[in-house]
Amino acid sequence: MNTQLQDKSAEQPLTMKDLQTENPRWCLGCGDFGIIAAVKRFLVDTQLIAYKTVNVSGIGCSGRAPNYINTYGVHSIHGRPITIATGLALARPDLNLFVHSGDGDALSIGGNHLIHGINKNFKCVFLLYDNELYALTKNQTSPTTRKGHKTMTQPVGTYLDPINPVRTALGLGASFVASTTDWMPDHLASTLKAAFEHPGFAFVHISQRCPHFDAENFDHKTSSWFTFLKHANGIAPDKRLAEKTEIIEHDPSNIEAAFKYANAERRYYGLFFQDKSKARYDDILHNLIKDTPQKPRSKILDQYMLE
Amino acid sequence: MLKEKKKVSRFELLMDAGFGAQKAGDILISAFAATGKFVYIEPMIPAEISPPPRTAAALSGVIIRVADFDITNIGNDADVIVASHEIVLNRRLDDEETNPNCRVLLDMGDKPGNEETYEKVCRRVTDLGLSIIPFETDAESKALIQSMQGAGKNMYYIGMLAAIYNTPAEAVEEKIKKTFGKKLKEDILAKNVKIFDNGYNFAKQGVFFSYEIESRPREGEKILIDGNTSLSMGIIDAGIKLFSGYPITPASSIMHTLARSFPAYGGVVHQAEDEIAAIGTAIGAYFGGVPSVTCTSGPGLSLKQEFIGFASAAEIPIIVIDAQRSGPSTGMPTKTEQSDLLAAMFGSHGDNTKIVLSVANVIDCFYAPQMARYLAEKLRLPVFIMTDFLTANSYKIIDRPKANEITNIDDIPDFVFERFHLKRLPASIEMVRLIQSIPGTPGALRRVTGLNTDREGKVNYFSKQNHLGHQIRNQKVNLVRQALVKPEMFGKEEGELLIVGWGSARGTIEEAINLCQADGLPVAGLHLKIVNPLPPMLKDIFSKYKRVMTVEVAYGDNIKFSPLAYILRAETLTDVRSLISLASGRPIRPKSIYAMAKAALSKKEGVSLVASS
Repeated sequence: MNTQLQDKSAEQPLTMKDLQTENPRWCLGCGDFGIIAAVKRFLVDTQLIAYKTVNVSGIGCSGRAPNYINTYGVHSIHGRPITIATGLALARPDLNLFVHSGDGDALSIGGNHLIHGINKNFKCVFLLYDNELYALTKNQTSPTTRKGHKTMTQPVGTYLDPINPVRTALGLGASFVASTTDWMPDHLASTLKAAFEHPGFAFVHISQRCPHFDAENFDHKTSSWFTFLKHANGIAPDKRLAEKTEIIEHDPSNIEAAFKYANAERRYYGLFFQDKSKARYDDILHNLIKDTPQKPRSKILDQYMLE
Repeated sequence: MLKEKKKVSRFELLMDAGFGAQKAGDILISAFAATGKFVYIEPMIPAEISPPPRTAAALSGVIIRVADFDITNIGNDADVIVASHEIVLNRRLDDEETNPNCRVLLDMGDKPGNEETYEKVCRRVTDLGLSIIPFETDAESKALIQSMQGAGKNMYYIGMLAAIYNTPAEAVEEKIKKTFGKKLKEDILAKNVKIFDNGYNFAKQGVFFSYEIESRPREGEKILIDGNTSLSMGIIDAGIKLFSGYPITPASSIMHTLARSFPAYGGVVHQAEDEIAAIGTAIGAYFGGVPSVTCTSGPGLSLKQEFIGFASAAEIPIIVIDAQRSGPSTGMPTKTEQSDLLAAMFGSHGDNTKIVLSVANVIDCFYAPQMARYLAEKLRLPVFIMTDFLTANSYKIIDRPKANEITNIDDIPDFVFERFHLKRLPASIEMVRLIQSIPGTPGALRRVTGLNTDREGKVNYFSKQNHLGHQIRNQKVNLVRQALVKPEMFGKEEGELLIVGWGSARGTIEEAINLCQADGLPVAGLHLKIVNPLPPMLKDIFSKYKRVMTVEVAYGDNIKFSPLAYILRAETLTDVRSLISLASGRPIRPKSIYAMAKAALSKKEGVSLVASS
């Protein structure tokens, strides 16, 4: 891994204040506040070097995240943050890479890139901000909107069953699949830590509240409606909520069980699956150069010479 | 065999796809080159892999121009055609690219069972006033070809062509051995050589004519290279370290070449999941400070447009190579066209700024990545390199270009700037955002966005700031305009008619102007390499001529202006029209320009001519 930690001897330790930029332009109560707070907390806790960290995003409420975290950042175009992140992973393996993408960004317009990002398994933390609708464009049905929920584009109620992001990631062969929420800071932080330590594409699904357009979704005050997955190799249940709900043991190397929980009606949060041995596309390309005898450029046209 | 001396001649070999016409052509021109001739080869490739044989769609072949002087284009019409059967010949005759005295050698091997079509096509040849020379491969060659499931026929044909062009058999045999030596078993190789010899000996005795093109002693180191290979090597020489692309004809061969070569020069080749991802990854790498490039063709250019606007707004350098082919939509993927000009200049939404370079030939292909890198990094804007199917796939013998081994853009030597008619830009260029650092730089954390921002990079929707951003971006383009020197011109600096072209039209224009001048016609030529922005002195140059007309492989008519004419009119307020604006998929011929220029001179001013090439 190419983790870039803060050089404590040479510089002041990184603080939450260092990571502030401006007041985010999100609605009061938006789950995105919780997510970027956790990202910042994680950066501080692990003392990652801010100038060697890049946050990349697409378009939507979640897309604004890089603007509000004082590191390097690319707020790119709708659905394409994975493509930008691929370029950074291939060109600059020394950087810490976080990708921020919404449910519309990742599963609708950018679905193709999610397929291939997961399959290429290049090193990054991928955060799926799932508020289960399009918010920035003002309340349209997204790929994860629950069936029957009324939106501006499907006013009689969303027609189809939603795409299940966790099952999708598992089905695509993701090497790391976790799910958490914006309102469990402890669990979110533990999830980020596990994701960052993962050698590959770490798919982190985050249930995210949208109080403006869908206040009823996600009852963040109670916890009886979901279960924590727990394991010595997994992610510890949220300290605040652990005692109030079901916790079950799940070995994250067990793909069948992971699918079982992903397919269930009930929600599960925790580490569904992890395989640290999956080949990484970025490593393969870098090793290809390392293993190829290097040639001087002065002779590049020799092979086309007329004798 | 009669021997006729010629300075230059063009011939073609027409076969069914999948039987090695291009490979045979490559062998033949290598042998020509080795014996001191100058060559230019244009492949004719169907868009499909193996269309059914003996159909018009199966036509696959090569057009070869050979001369005793350096040639810049594929030239005029055929003196000799060798066709493997009547169907491909009939199809090719539709293109009307034969000289009046063209000799057509038609393989009669397929005639049994196809007597009617053979007779019809032979009649068509004689009706056109051309001579038909029927022949058949000898019994031994037939048996050898049959033993190799139809392979090897191409060797017979290049045997004939080698004899017709008075090239020593040994020179070609050596190239056959070099080409196939490692790939084919010894006995198969021997069969191929034998078939070649049979074709050669047949033509020496059985064909009554031949052409002698004088050999020139070779001066200096020469290479034989096609446009896309030259671009690939140019990418390496320019110090670019990441290539990101998605398969598309005719750009794919750049990715093929780099996939083999790039790792040995520390470069990454990324085959992306789609065209959008391909440019996104190149932009991501360049944001990371690593020079990168993406290649595409028309349909891919359409898909990349949103990211091109983003790079312009976010001030991230990016180089896009567009190998133009016939459009719209899938169009004719293996035919040439110059019709992406406006899409490159004006594509992507909103007012967005970019620089558009074009390449005139394979030497430009080698140096264009350096020029593009210079402009992209100095201006932090998207830069296009426009090539086309013709340049991408045509081979030519050139003086070996000097490798510059660029690490950063300050290493680029003056001669590269001169080649693109550009002076160096000012040392410091104003950007919309004050911070332009790359990740890893402490104390200058930079966040980019496609949203409008203030000078610090914070999102901002204020009217004055937005307009200022546009001004600064457009001023970058204007700096290039001011740095452009007079473009290349052919002929006198005043006259009746100025012919203007861009990109691959250069060689044809140059040769056409020579034809006009030899005839005393008051016609001059002008060629543009950088097409956006245009040089500031164009209006003055145009004012010295009574008429200014473009030649383009792109659609235009009496009402709709062709792309280059359109931008030249807008830029200069001159009544520029097109002399030739054909969407034929075929290169423009010097003699067509000459003929159309002559016709234009005899007509009244303001009359637009739309030629059939």
